[in-house]
Amino acid sequence: MPLVAVLLALVAVAFFVLPLVGLIAHAPWGHAWDDLTSPTARDAIRLSVICSLWSTALSIIFGVPLAYVLARARFPGRSLVRALAVLPMVLPPVVGGVALLYAFSVNNGVIGGWLHDTFGIQFTFSTAGAVLAETFVAMPFLVITVEAGLRTMDRRYEDAAASLGASRWTVFRRVTLPLIAPSLLAGAALAWARALGEFGATITFAGNIQGRTQTMPLAVYLLLETQQGTAIVLSLLLLAVSIIVLVLLRDRWFGGLRER
Amino acid sequence: MWSSKFRDPIRHLEREYFVQKQLRWVGTLAVVAALFGVGTAVPAAADRASGPRPTTRTTKLSGSITVSAAASLQEVFTQMGKDFQAENKGTTITFNFAASSTLAEQIQGGAPADVFASADGANMQKVVTTGQVTVKPVDFTANLLTIVVKKGNPSNVTSLADLPKLGTISLCAPAVPCGKYATQMFTQDGITVPSSKVTLGQDVKSTLEAVSTGDADAGIVYVTDAKSAGGSVTQVKIPASLNVLAVYPIAPIATSKNAALANAWVQYVLSPAGKKTLLKFGFLPVPGT
Repeated sequence: MPLVAVLLALVAVAFFVLPLVGLIAHAPWGHAWDDLTSPTARDAIRLSVICSLWSTALSIIFGVPLAYVLARARFPGRSLVRALAVLPMVLPPVVGGVALLYAFSVNNGVIGGWLHDTFGIQFTFSTAGAVLAETFVAMPFLVITVEAGLRTMDRRYEDAAASLGASRWTVFRRVTLPLIAPSLLAGAALAWARALGEFGATITFAGNIQGRTQTMPLAVYLLLETQQGTAIVLSLLLLAVSIIVLVLLRDRWFGGLRER
Repeated sequence: MWSSKFRDPIRHLEREYFVQKQLRWVGTLAVVAALFGVGTAVPAAADRASGPRPTTRTTKLSGSITVSAAASLQEVFTQMGKDFQAENKGTTITFNFAASSTLAEQIQGGAPADVFASADGANMQKVVTTGQVTVKPVDFTANLLTIVVKKGNPSNVTSLADLPKLGTISLCAPAVPCGKYATQMFTQDGITVPSSKVTLGQDVKSTLEAVSTGDADAGIVYVTDAKSAGGSVTQVKIPASLNVLAVYPIAPIATSKNAALANAWVQYVLSPAGKKTLLKFGFLPVPGT
């Protein structure tokens, strides 16, 4: 291995580690527990868990079929659909939030008024809105990961199952899904991590209401100016949870990915 | 006299405003006097500034500065920046608009700012305490709060007392001056809005946007923001007796690499031309000046 590569890699590692060290150094360890159990922090943690899990679930329910269609179906404009599906990855989240407003706002939205008048559903300034905003930015991660898995899998297993008389649904359920399980898990983990850290789209679209839409990143931003200690402790919690999950998923559950 | 001013600052302010209008010619006279070098219009701002101070405009200003200013000053300072740069060719004024609390934190963290214009005294005091501002800040303008509602006022809001009945209320976060003033006003007027109905904006502009673009039913912002928003929201005025007066201080930052230009900007804001632009955008004169 060339020495230059090692040195540059060390710089990269330091670049990721130094901000963490900064946070840890500034954390108020003496009253960290009290900070974490303060009402604002507790509400934010609860909301973050609920919203990120909901948005991961929605990403799977709608994202897997979308990935399947993108990987298997041939239709004109497929690359355009794929571009649209991953657009939220490059769009600034605040812009995403504004775009969601113009779609789902009761007053200005394309379908928001209709949803409200017909079904009594209002996404803006509601927990459902926070879930929607998180799903908007998180689902693309699942879609592209699962689509890649579908494209690299060996399709002969599906053909074999079909030739033995399995219906399309049975093939998908019993052959395709188990084969892409590692990609699905990886995509779900990425989507979940992205949803957990979502800030811009949520604050723009769902607002910043304690106990309703104020997830951990929003609480961190708000508390930085009033209770810096609590903000840092919450940030560290976000970091710790994300690191633990990402490391576990990569090393233990995704062993299959690396061998391929 | 002093005690009446203290007890009823708004009434006092209104009176001052009319007095100021009538005495505008006195101001003109002062400008003429200043031009002839009889006295400097704003000695306080630059009194203890360490850098070179443009006593006369014979020293040509150049270079660029960054002005960190309260979000509510966005429209008026942008205009003043254009005017200033037109008058002083070769200078560049760059603005950093955000909540005053955010700006104070940035300045304390060493952000490269040359002038700080805050929407309240408390955030200015923060940077004075930590030593980034070493001169006495000068109050340069004032502002009042107002209710903004959806265009056309569909919920028929007529006063502060209607707010608790609405769905979602948009306020600035408690550390942000407009949020602090709103809380102060609610306490003073005995209004209680449950926190489960309150969405908190990072600065006054995002608080306004929650009403203009989003689905918040009402918001509390400055009169000047409602004015700048044009027809996108409807304003429900808060009577002076129930309102809270926001006073804006300005000061150059001690570590500025272009103290001459920083001081010139402060003086421009305090000058009659600057005051005129502020009034045009709906800001009020500081009481007692």
